[in-house]
Amino acid sequence: MAWSKPVLREIECE
Amino acid sequence: MSPEDIPVIPRGVRLHEDRVRGSWVLLAPERAIRLDPIGHAILSEIDGSRSFGAITAGLAAKYNAPEEQIAKDAGEFIEGLMNRRILEVA
Repeated sequence: MAWSKPVLREIECE
Repeated sequence: MSPEDIPVIPRGVRLHEDRVRGSWVLLAPERAIRLDPIGHAILSEIDGSRSFGAITAGLAAKYNAPEEQIAKDAGEFIEGLMNRRILEVA
């Protein structure tokens, strides 16, 4: 797996 | 984040494997963050004793990527979690 910019995704509630 | 900083996952925050969706979630009191594989890789390196510099060096070797790029991306990722009061720095 290549490096990529990590993304934060907040879970609203699931 | 400076290389000497030691990121810490505080008490009450933990990684949870969501086997249904095949992804990892960072659970904190009353909130949760869904992680992509890179985010999970960064958090897996945080053990409360290793410095940010050691973590980024390890990730650079693991992903064969420039350490400067990893330090920038991982630093922004960790700071985003600190701003949400999900991570701390010792």
